[in-house]
Amino acid sequence: MGKLVKVLGVAVVGTALVASPALAKTLKIGIPLPLTGSKAKFGEIERRSYEIAAEEINAAGGINGMQIELDIQDSQGKPEIARAIAEKLVDVAKQPFLIGAYSSSCSKAIAALAEERKVPYLVVTGAANDITQKGYEYVFRMNPSVEYYTSGFRGFLREVVKPKTIAILYEATDFGTSGSKSMVKEAKRLGIKVVLNEKYESGAVDFKPILSQVKAKRPDVIYMVSYVMDAALLMRQIKELRIDAKLFAGGAAGFAIPEFVENAKDAAEYVVTATLWSPFAPYRGAREFAEKYKKRAGKYPSYHGAEAYSALYVLKDALERAGSMDSEAIKKALAATDLVTAFGPVKFEAKGKYKNQNFMDTLVLQVINGKHEVIWPKKFATAKYVFPIPRWRDRRR
Amino acid sequence: MASAAQTLGRYRTAAAVVVGLAVIPLVPGLNSSYVLHMLILMLMWSVIGMAWNLLGGYCGQVSFGHAAFFGLGAYTGGILYYHLGWSAWWGLPVGMVVVALGALGVGYICLRLRGPYFALGTLAMGEVLRVTAENLEWLTEGTRGIMLETRTWVAKEPFYYVILAIAVASFVVLEVMVRSKWGYYFVAIREDQDAAESLGIDTTLYKNIALVVSAVLTGVAGAFYTCYMGYIDPEIVFALHDVSIVAIMVVMVGGVATRWGPLVGAVIMILLSEVVRTLPYIGRAHQTLFGILLIVIIIFLPNGVVGDFRKMMRFFLGRSKPAGAGGV
Repeated sequence: MGKLVKVLGVAVVGTALVASPALAKTLKIGIPLPLTGSKAKFGEIERRSYEIAAEEINAAGGINGMQIELDIQDSQGKPEIARAIAEKLVDVAKQPFLIGAYSSSCSKAIAALAEERKVPYLVVTGAANDITQKGYEYVFRMNPSVEYYTSGFRGFLREVVKPKTIAILYEATDFGTSGSKSMVKEAKRLGIKVVLNEKYESGAVDFKPILSQVKAKRPDVIYMVSYVMDAALLMRQIKELRIDAKLFAGGAAGFAIPEFVENAKDAAEYVVTATLWSPFAPYRGAREFAEKYKKRAGKYPSYHGAEAYSALYVLKDALERAGSMDSEAIKKALAATDLVTAFGPVKFEAKGKYKNQNFMDTLVLQVINGKHEVIWPKKFATAKYVFPIPRWRDRRR
Repeated sequence: MASAAQTLGRYRTAAAVVVGLAVIPLVPGLNSSYVLHMLILMLMWSVIGMAWNLLGGYCGQVSFGHAAFFGLGAYTGGILYYHLGWSAWWGLPVGMVVVALGALGVGYICLRLRGPYFALGTLAMGEVLRVTAENLEWLTEGTRGIMLETRTWVAKEPFYYVILAIAVASFVVLEVMVRSKWGYYFVAIREDQDAAESLGIDTTLYKNIALVVSAVLTGVAGAFYTCYMGYIDPEIVFALHDVSIVAIMVVMVGGVATRWGPLVGAVIMILLSEVVRTLPYIGRAHQTLFGILLIVIIIFLPNGVVGDFRKMMRFFLGRSKPAGAGGV
């Protein structure tokens, strides 16, 4: 794999020397993203990251000598608009591939279309399990499906925490429900008793009723699947109510992005979260990308950023190997992808019900001294985990 | 009463529109999958708009909860497919029954309320159904939604003709209802419910009729959405702002209580959002621009594009057209 990277590097440098940008043709890449609406935050992170990747690729000579021009279109997070964008890209722009979209529902709409129109589609962040379980031939997903989001975290639970009881809170979305389901399954396997499994409407302002139920059950672990505002509010109210547990844990998304620490302040301390990626992830280019992003946006990107950034490299790699702008050739090239990106290794495999799905190690982060540190798997750790965590009343205020 | 000549003229316009729409997929250049997708959405929204127009426009019962009926129709198809393995198209006929029953339930609660209270009541019903669909996981698969394994056709044309047929049928049903004695009852209820009652109109009955017909048509559009998009979840089909509010907007922009208002409104809404979205540079602010445009339309054309057509023409042409032209 390392050799491939080297070869690729040489190829990139080579094309950079040969191709003169002034004469180069442009390759317009249309990407649907939610730039407005409730998912806009993530759309914005992805937009910046795609732009960074495009600039880097262009500076290095583009793709097959073509300079990339990004055409990012607002889907508002609505599936019918995402589909309209994709239809237009296939029909009007004659783009031989599709890439992007943020939410699972938009990704599903595009995936069905891609399969019907026989245009390869690279799913970047849509995480619902069934996107790659339909036997689609033209749909490739580089992010793990949601049931694998927490594979690293489950290892941590098994080997370090060894809890007897767990309480699960999750938001009422596809992402939240799938996250809770896979945790319940895992708990059953490890013999952990699920004392509470409650759903809430995302964007709620008061979690105290649900949290007092949690308090009464005294679980060893409180596991939450939430987006950013809910995540911070949950932790602040847990602190207010002085609910103690051996471990507070989040299932990726809202807990794994820097805003969580900013919004929750000291209530975020020692909270553990599963994540797909962190700026300190042990992959080449991860740190560089994170720093570049921070310079522009003022803060580190979430894993969504790394996914978007790396997706463009996966596409570039496939287009170069395909050697043509033919959908079938690009599909074949994508299927043969074997690349280490800043987001991690990317390789599309069939396993169980899955087809063309990338499987990878996921990380566990813990907030230590107000910073997200990688604590698991041990080989990637940037800090030693703190466990069990101190009770609220023992913490310095 | 319309004279024979006027009646003929009326149907001539309608027939021309239907024929025009029917040949679009045969016109080279216009028959791309993207254009058809846009047209399908326009027709779907015009059905919802017509449905809303019957209840809100003619009968004066402003509903903020049409997503409830849209969602019920959509989920009927989805559930039949997911649990019984039937084709999702069964959602159209079966959904009509389910939605009619649902509408009677909603009507039983909400039609006791008047004006803003009715609006709030329907708004609540829509949200109640969304939360219910999210939680009845054994039935609806909750927030994970229902996804069709494959859609019936890859090509857009069949979907286009199906929704065109639905739109024509809705148009005819409404036309017959509104031009009949019932239509006058509806308008009487809108203008003054107490006066209508004193004239011997059974307002409860006629409000229920308007609600049920309106709901059923919306439900049919919902069932079509399931078949066409192939994926539904509660947040999409029971959405307050993406379904209920848009239904109102379509009619407001097109023209309340006008025959062509919903179709014109749907065309404008879909086209505008698509065109503004893809404008270079300022496209980023499309939501804002869209909002401003709507405000302008509502302030200057309070009766919608169709209702204030002459006023608009006067503004653009600088003089008034002779009476009798247009005539909507």
